[in-house]
Amino acid sequence: MAVTPSDADPGVFTAATGTKRRIANRSVIWQVVLLLAIMLVCVFPFYWMVTTSLKTQIVALEAPPVWIFEPTLDNYREALFEDGVLRTLINSLIIAVCTTGLALLLGVPAAFALARFEFRGKKDLWFWFITNRMVSPIVLALPFFLIARNLGLLDKHITLILIYLTFNLPIVIWIVTDQFRGIPYDLDEAARLEGASQFTIMRKICLPLAMPGVAVSAIFAFIFSWNELMFGLILTRSEAKTAPAMAVSFMEGYNLPYGKIMATSTLIVIPVLIFALIASKQLVRGLTMGAVK
Amino acid sequence: MRGQASRKTILAFIGPAVFGLAIVGIAPLLYALWTSLHFFNLTKLRQIEFIGLENYANVLTDEVFWQAMGRTFFLLGTALPLQIGFGLGIALVLHKPGLTILKTLTRLSLVLPMATTYAVVGLLGQVMFNQKFGVVNQLLNGADINWIGDPTNAFAMIIFWDVWQWTPFVALVLLAGLTMVPGEVEEAARLETKSWWTILRHVQLPFLIPGLVAVLILRTADTLKLFDMVFTLTRGGPGSSTEFISLMIQRVGFRGFDQGLASAQAVILLIITIVLAQIYIRVFYKEV
Amino acid sequence: MKRRVLLSCAATVALIASGAVAQSDWSLEEAAKPYAGTTVDVVFLLRPGYEAIEAMLPEFEERTGIKVNIIKHPYENALGEQVRDFVAGGDLDIALIDLVWIGNFAENEWVVPIEQIQADYPDLVDPDLDIDDFFPLVLNAFGGWNGTIYGLPFDNYSGLLFYNKCMLEEAGFDGPPETWEELKDTYGPALTKDGKYAFALQSKRNETQSADSFARVLWPFGGSFLDEEFRSNLMSEESQAGLKFRQDLMQYMPEGIVAYDHAEAVNGFAQGDVAMITEWSAFYSTVVSPDTSAVADCVEIAPEPKGPAGRKPALGGFSLAVASQADEDEKGAAWLFIQWATSKENAGEYLERGGVPARQSAYEDPALAETYKFVPALVESWQEGVPEFRPRFAEWPEITEIVQEWGTKMMLGEVTTEEGAQEIGTRMEEVLENAGYYSGDKTLAQ
Repeated sequence: MAVTPSDADPGVFTAATGTKRRIANRSVIWQVVLLLAIMLVCVFPFYWMVTTSLKTQIVALEAPPVWIFEPTLDNYREALFEDGVLRTLINSLIIAVCTTGLALLLGVPAAFALARFEFRGKKDLWFWFITNRMVSPIVLALPFFLIARNLGLLDKHITLILIYLTFNLPIVIWIVTDQFRGIPYDLDEAARLEGASQFTIMRKICLPLAMPGVAVSAIFAFIFSWNELMFGLILTRSEAKTAPAMAVSFMEGYNLPYGKIMATSTLIVIPVLIFALIASKQLVRGLTMGAVK
Repeated sequence: MRGQASRKTILAFIGPAVFGLAIVGIAPLLYALWTSLHFFNLTKLRQIEFIGLENYANVLTDEVFWQAMGRTFFLLGTALPLQIGFGLGIALVLHKPGLTILKTLTRLSLVLPMATTYAVVGLLGQVMFNQKFGVVNQLLNGADINWIGDPTNAFAMIIFWDVWQWTPFVALVLLAGLTMVPGEVEEAARLETKSWWTILRHVQLPFLIPGLVAVLILRTADTLKLFDMVFTLTRGGPGSSTEFISLMIQRVGFRGFDQGLASAQAVILLIITIVLAQIYIRVFYKEV
Repeated sequence: MKRRVLLSCAATVALIASGAVAQSDWSLEEAAKPYAGTTVDVVFLLRPGYEAIEAMLPEFEERTGIKVNIIKHPYENALGEQVRDFVAGGDLDIALIDLVWIGNFAENEWVVPIEQIQADYPDLVDPDLDIDDFFPLVLNAFGGWNGTIYGLPFDNYSGLLFYNKCMLEEAGFDGPPETWEELKDTYGPALTKDGKYAFALQSKRNETQSADSFARVLWPFGGSFLDEEFRSNLMSEESQAGLKFRQDLMQYMPEGIVAYDHAEAVNGFAQGDVAMITEWSAFYSTVVSPDTSAVADCVEIAPEPKGPAGRKPALGGFSLAVASQADEDEKGAAWLFIQWATSKENAGEYLERGGVPARQSAYEDPALAETYKFVPALVESWQEGVPEFRPRFAEWPEITEIVQEWGTKMMLGEVTTEEGAQEIGTRMEEVLENAGYYSGDKTLAQ
């Protein structure tokens, strides 16, 4: 064991703790300053987004920008009710919820098999699933557009729900496989001896234990789907138009209604931020799963 | 006995997912492969013609394509070290004991950038970095920096937003790694040396490696995919200074309508992605 | 096919038979009766001319019972959206055609020629349609391809010189520059000082770069994109002179002009930071309205300056055409809408609400020039002008991407005007080669 303070000469001890305390104080102050700075940098853009959304076009274009002004909700009224942002928000919600559900439905059993069964080509299969997460959407957007066109599936919710599987399914499989692998086998030994099917074992015994992982992957799938732009831009037009695609459509080179663009942005971002904050514990756990392996 | 299951059972579990992903993931790829071997222009569908590898030859010899690719990796090479540097700093600050409430609040605020719609980040960038009425120049003491219209500054701005959005991710991953260091090991080390650097290198680093690997994989993939934020912020400009690979393919395929050429570019991008993913996963994720 | 032939035969017969009788008592309400309840889909831009028609639309819908479903897109997405819709056999019943898209839309047969419509739907043709009343240049450039008229001019522009009279007077000028040389050599140095700039040329890397910046300096100096054999003419002395002139002129423009789209250029002018801009007529309402402009009282308008090759102002604008993919009812309803929106009768109100009609009759009243200062310059610009200011053939979407890329690189000094022109030339000729212009498969029309 190392030397503890009590072993040292009492006089030296007081002096030492004095300096130490001063150092400690100073470092606490630094820590507070740094923490506040981090928070400020993270939050400030949102502050600016919201305040800009409350400005009229003239105020928004004032140079240098003003911090105190008379706020107006006109941008929101216009965006929601005149420009149809409300409908695109609903579309985004429908699509994100459905694709998340579908990804879980397909992904959880697959993850169970990958975690618990031995079979040939397992590694390659897992690798293939995961690689999909890394494929740039533009690679799929071109051909998917042509296929959807041939099948008459353009501008339909189902099209986005399906194509979002390309990034949602890998997330679910990655995270949930990991989770299933952590569940000890002896737990379901008894059930197996009683003749329960693998499906029953998954549903009754393993799934409840893997629920945290399932929740994490669902949260991710939802957020990624909600935020997606490129497929939404290319595969929808009006009926199934998503909120991010809508936000982009105000960018006419003739006149940039910054207040309205920021109002729409706020409407898109705030729900997902609230959701992320509520689920932040799971979110952080999900993010860091790679870190603890 | 682990892993005993009949073929049928395995298929029942894994079949639907494979089938699903094959339909949305593989079928389009095969179609892209077919398209890439043809002259295939959306506005000239009557002239579709098999041209063999001509599109590929065009892509491989097109300096513009390789410049976009180089730019993409340059972005990765500049943004990632910054993210790791800042992320590590933030993780260390958060790892220091004390100030529980403040630290919880900080952790919560770190979640925000990551969850933000990427397209909105770009729109926000347009508003905040505008030369005249942008708040960034105001905060820089009324500087008159032309962010969006200058190639170097525009690139710096893209780096800024990428770092803003993804440093929290790196920080949280590394923080999780730091909490894995057994308390007694860390304490013992602290008594031996005051240098945080020594502690970081010799005690904490081994626990950070898996996290860093995950960061490397995901950031590489996301940089190759990067589209939304740049599309809404600079659209690849000024000139080509922020035209990254995904933007370029989008331009060729959906603005020039040359789907054949764009498909060839996409296939080449896919090959690069798979090779990188293979290397990363085979090297770092041995255990699966 | 047979059915269509029969139909049009029947239609022709009906046309001859009804003749003068139908003309006298034609009314929109009567003509629209069979189409009440039909919905037609059309893409609109977020620009003043579209807002004007949108504001007038309730009257049309009430009189006809036809519902017009407007899908709004920014210009930069509008071509892609429409191409994807037509390729996919989507719901658009009306095509919105920028003059540079006409070759593309016509060659793909996505739009129906006016003559065809007139033959198929003789009862729907307003006897007052008076196609000859459109400015011929505008009708042919915006709506016509290879001698066939497809669309009627709807949202019409000519490039104009907007200048800030107060700033010019203060610097000792009584009027705007007559030539581009004068603008650069005399007005440039005198007006560029104290954070103000003589000129701003919107040059962002999108259609703005090709149309507003690149093409604008080619033509007045005698240059052009293509020579008579459809080979690149960008290396010619004249084209190079124009491109070099643009490089030179940049010293009198704000920094970062390469990122300026219309909004930035107009805003710079409206804030009094820039003394002159060459912009589309459509911006008139923005720069003279005190709500959006700090210099409303100082705004004056002239035709674009002349170059050594004369005045070759920028030409741009949109026509509306009936889409081939629409069904019989939708085609009829679409035609009625197009005819109404571009009619002589509505031109006055359209102008009042911020649109720019292409009807000659709309500008006959000399008093208009006092209310709308841009009218004389506009009318003058539409007398002469180059329809192929930007080539209007089907290959333009590919070529404009090339021009945008290398045009901005040129401006940034990343390549010289020669290197850039060489690049554009090679790539452009490759596109044209593939299209079959050099093998004689395709007629040389632009």
